[in-house]
Amino acid sequence: MCPVYQSQAYNNAGQPGGVNNVSRPVKPAPLPVPPPALKLGQEGFKKVCRTEEDSPCPFPGLSSGVLEMRVKEGSKIRNLMGFAMARMQGEKGVSGVNSSGGGLRQVVFTGSGRAVTKTITCAEIMKRKVGCLHQLTKLRYKVVKEVWESTEGGTSEMTVHRTVPSISILLSKDPLDPQEPGYQPPETLSALWEEREGTEPATASKRSLGPLQYTSFPDCKRVCLGEGASVLPPH
Amino acid sequence: MRTIFLFQESSSLPYTLRKRLPRKLPKRRNDVYVNMKTDFRAQLARCQKLLEGGGHREICVHGLGLAINRAINIALQLQASSQGALQLAANTSTVELVDDLEPEDPDEAGEPMTRTRNNSAIHIKVFYPDAQ
Repeated sequence: MCPVYQSQAYNNAGQPGGVNNVSRPVKPAPLPVPPPALKLGQEGFKKVCRTEEDSPCPFPGLSSGVLEMRVKEGSKIRNLMGFAMARMQGEKGVSGVNSSGGGLRQVVFTGSGRAVTKTITCAEIMKRKVGCLHQLTKLRYKVVKEVWESTEGGTSEMTVHRTVPSISILLSKDPLDPQEPGYQPPETLSALWEEREGTEPATASKRSLGPLQYTSFPDCKRVCLGEGASVLPPH
Repeated sequence: MRTIFLFQESSSLPYTLRKRLPRKLPKRRNDVYVNMKTDFRAQLARCQKLLEGGGHREICVHGLGLAINRAINIALQLQASSQGALQLAANTSTVELVDDLEPEDPDEAGEPMTRTRNNSAIHIKVFYPDAQ
């Protein structure tokens, strides 16, 4: 018997008092919020298993020959990228199927919960290493079923259904539909320099595969063009 | 092929790490930057106010690093409470952050150094699609 834990309902009414409520549409009933994992851990529970409910692929008309990389919270980026890069750039010694010469055309990175940031990072790394990739990003909720067991040896067991945000990023060598929401064209230098303000075009020449140069901007946040992180003394 | 590596600070170098703030990005009326310090519900209410009361057809929710999850949550909550009227479009980017490493002991021979690292960011456009 696995009782489902019910906690207080999530109240998303944060509206200021002065707003006219009559014209506001009726909000759907708030969903119960499962207890956070930290609280369960403190109450002497240990997670036994965690299964994701499979949901259909969010990308319409995707070919079946696409590589799906499932990024989990504990995945090592090094391992993920090693595998994905080898596939995209074409491995030597793949027994002679014509379509895989030169590697795969498309790859999908999916992740949910705490792995979302890592998923985005993997996609960004791949975009940097394999240039001119078209990107399509989709967000949705995923339901994850967790089973928690009491560490004190009691027979109490809990099943928690948690909805977590999930992201799917499609990277493709072939052009995608630009009208699709979530489409991002491959980054070109010209598009980059239009967006950024206060940067001279002369610094475009600094873009190289060498280590990042220390700039004189004290509070500097810019889209990364170079490679990696390095420690450099100031000039 | 260089990969991103983490600089290991050895115990013999007593540096204090100070993170520099990311540069303030241009902020239009409908830009919302999500952080981990402000209450989630307050940020969600702010977005809702911009969409409903402010008359904006679209807002842009930005999140950096750990705030990516929260930004996605806010965007999905907005969509859920609009009963499907709103649509989402997400873009990702890499942002470069700079840390200042200063030696703790002023007599130490170490000199102030900077370390740069990368972080992921997400930009989610929440909009009412144009009627067809």
